[in-house]
Amino acid sequence: MSRIGVFVCHCGTNIASVVDPDKLIAAARELPGVAYAADYKYMCSEPGQQMIKDSISEHGLDRIVIASCSPRMHETTFRKMLKNTGINPYMLEIANIREQCSWVHVDKDRASEKAVNLMRMAVSKISKNEPLYAQTIPITKKALVIGGGIAGIQAALDIADAGHEVVLLERESSVGGKMAMLDKTFPTLDCSACISTPKMVDVGAHPNITLMTSCEVESVSGYIGNFEVGIKQKARYVNHDICTGCGLCETKCPVKVESEFNLGLSTRPAIYKLFPQAVPSKPIIDKENCRLLKGGKCGICAKLCPLGCVNYEDEDRTITDNFGAIVIATGYQLVDWPSMYGEYGGGRYKDILSGLQFERTVNAAGPTEGHIVRPSDGKEPETVVIVKCVGSRDPNKGKSYCSRACCMYAAKHAHQILEKLPGTRVFIFYIDVRTPGKGYEEFYDQTRMDGAVYVRGRVSKIYEEEGQLVCRGEDSLLGEQVSVKADMVILETAMEPSPGIAELTSLLGAARDVNNWVQEAHPKLRPAETQVGGVFLAGTCQGPKDIPDTVAQASAAAAKVIGLLNKSEMETSPMISAVERDKCSGCGVCVGICPYKAVTLLEIDDRHGAKRIKREVANVNSGLCQGCGACTSACRTGALDLLGFRNKQILEEVDALCL
Amino acid sequence: MSEKQEKMRQCAEKLLRDGEAGYVIGWGETRFDDRTTPIFVEDPAGAGAFVWNEYAINSLAKYLLDDKYPDKKIGLFTRGCESRAINRLLKDNQIKRENVYLIGVPCDGKKSDRCTLCRERNPILYDVLLWTPEDDPPPAAGRFDRVKDIEAMSPDERYVYWGETYDSCIRCYACRNVCPACNCRECYADMSKTGFQGKQHSRSDNQIFGVTRAFHVGDRCIECGECERVCPMNLPIMGQTQKILKDINELTGEYECGMDATSENYLGRFDLDDKDEFM
Repeated sequence: MSRIGVFVCHCGTNIASVVDPDKLIAAARELPGVAYAADYKYMCSEPGQQMIKDSISEHGLDRIVIASCSPRMHETTFRKMLKNTGINPYMLEIANIREQCSWVHVDKDRASEKAVNLMRMAVSKISKNEPLYAQTIPITKKALVIGGGIAGIQAALDIADAGHEVVLLERESSVGGKMAMLDKTFPTLDCSACISTPKMVDVGAHPNITLMTSCEVESVSGYIGNFEVGIKQKARYVNHDICTGCGLCETKCPVKVESEFNLGLSTRPAIYKLFPQAVPSKPIIDKENCRLLKGGKCGICAKLCPLGCVNYEDEDRTITDNFGAIVIATGYQLVDWPSMYGEYGGGRYKDILSGLQFERTVNAAGPTEGHIVRPSDGKEPETVVIVKCVGSRDPNKGKSYCSRACCMYAAKHAHQILEKLPGTRVFIFYIDVRTPGKGYEEFYDQTRMDGAVYVRGRVSKIYEEEGQLVCRGEDSLLGEQVSVKADMVILETAMEPSPGIAELTSLLGAARDVNNWVQEAHPKLRPAETQVGGVFLAGTCQGPKDIPDTVAQASAAAAKVIGLLNKSEMETSPMISAVERDKCSGCGVCVGICPYKAVTLLEIDDRHGAKRIKREVANVNSGLCQGCGACTSACRTGALDLLGFRNKQILEEVDALCL
Repeated sequence: MSEKQEKMRQCAEKLLRDGEAGYVIGWGETRFDDRTTPIFVEDPAGAGAFVWNEYAINSLAKYLLDDKYPDKKIGLFTRGCESRAINRLLKDNQIKRENVYLIGVPCDGKKSDRCTLCRERNPILYDVLLWTPEDDPPPAAGRFDRVKDIEAMSPDERYVYWGETYDSCIRCYACRNVCPACNCRECYADMSKTGFQGKQHSRSDNQIFGVTRAFHVGDRCIECGECERVCPMNLPIMGQTQKILKDINELTGEYECGMDATSENYLGRFDLDDKDEFM
């Protein structure tokens, strides 16, 4: 007979104000197998833990049920406590009577009754618990950071500074990401390039960092501590080992195409550096637009290059490498507003710019060398309308979420316009102004002092009239229709995840949320991790955020990676799937259903009657398995079972509740 | 008919004489004119026992599970329904293609209700085809007609319908024994301690059996109709499996099992783009 100890936590008044602990104690004492029951104000506190430990030795307990907060909160705390008591840490069950009971109910009697049921379920389940033991797996001391924006750069630098090898992977030909495109950064107005380019140079020069540009992740196998990643190095057509980045090749290229970096506001040749401060500072050839690679006659760049770097025969290559940890830092893009907002002209009017296009316009290294002029006629605007929440907070046409950074950069854009072109009239259409951040509210105030006019309401329509853009909307504070004739309109558009995020997360087995952002393991307590062990998150791939938050999260992810790579081996959770080979018929349904690629078929020697045979059975990789239990419910014969959540344990809970 | 039957006997005899197959599975006579029985012939001289008439009804592929590790190939007369069952067993990793020799015998439709559901008379895979393929039956209009009838009932009516159906179930498990998608080493219905499937004959335990069986085979059902044919109580149990198939068809477009040995089972895969409107 088991000797179960039941401990009921008051959590101050969090639990005890709704659920009556005395009722739980009284009910617990009636249950079979319960040898001791007690309550305390804060079970997780030092005296609370000591009380449990004392009761274990005093009453000879061998299993512990704690009725308290969610197991996600303190299960690990109590497991650690049990380590020194002689009881296996997995002989513990938590009945969640806080999040799932006292916090969500008001009727004290019925809440207490429910709490008793939750506790009874845990007591029934624990009667079938068995000791579990963690395994250890070795760790490859090398990290892969996917995405070379400010998040990836910061994470790579932090990990490398701690002494670990890092590969920084970037899809474009240069690191820098979106931050390299920005002009000044709120709220301090320091120049974006001045603070980001030194970091770009650092990653290029750091002895522990291998920079891989024009690269994409092609395949991922393995598990925490031991990932094997196939990386596609896209053909650059320029030998970067020899190239000095002199730039001669770019000068005579006959091709002119829209510059991605300047968002179509200028042109670039087919052999090009992404921008002048690119790292690595070496060009690549854009094969879609190169005259020779498209089959025509040219070859000028090869003739010009004094070192013979240009190689038109270059091909994509796949490189395979091993990593202990992976950081996703793939960032964001702005939504394609012309396809969503036909009422704003759907992209027909040249003088409507996206926020990022305005950043390029106002940037001294941009297409207009920092002069704020209309793209249509090169004239300075006298009236500018800034429209916020274009695609954000608009569940009907765009995204339901707030893109977070736009309120601040809208204020910054207004400030920059008023600073560079004094006397310009700036109207900002807004729904709300959200400025939660250090120095943000003060910056917004300053912008209003500068003379920006904030109009509360959405712009319903923009159309052209006599060379000007008429913005019609509602001033919801006045309750009147308003109409502004503007020379230039800036749309502060919503952020959305970078293209390819679905493919990348599928390769990694990481989940995405309803808006396709990468899902963090816990919104508050594990914001820099995914659900997949060894795969971490940095920056806007997780959701919209500004630069300070991005950098903070990148450093947090780096700290997690460093913590992992500092160990030579790591413990894995023993709450994973286990296969009963006798029952397994090798049908493989578990292989296809596993989100983490943790189950494979393994050939084993067996007997069939008197005959020696080989047959296949399911095999669970303890490094990959996250204990989700999908395979155990898909397995028809019940050959797979989740340790810690065995079918018989769950049925005990069901019986306790229903019988 | 007799010409085809002769071809079958000659083929089986040659396979056995050449030692290509250890034995051949086909249909043989019984003492009733309107019945045949599956037979297993090892001796070349016994090949004359195979018959081919409108009563060669039983689907034979499931017998392959009784001999998963044969020393020699197993010869099997294979019609459309057998070949789909073989694809089922191949996809479920239960048999090896090289362990079977499939003698393709295009079917002209037999005297059984299950053949009215048939959409594929000719074998999809075979090693030899004994005669020219038959015309496939008319378009499968009404594939899910009976499901629609059940769907049209109110939930209460439906509960009465299935409750009364399963009151009659005698839990003989003939439906399971004959089903090519039921290929577990040990069936949960035979286990004594699953914790959810009781052994007693009661409406609730019978219903649990019915529902569990339907979900175990639902997305892998090849619609051969054998389960209903063998049911001694004539229960309309395909109404459940076909409901699952109908839902999958409506969610994802054309979905039919056993047409090849590689297509993923709809309920047996993890896909981030999974349709989840029903959640």
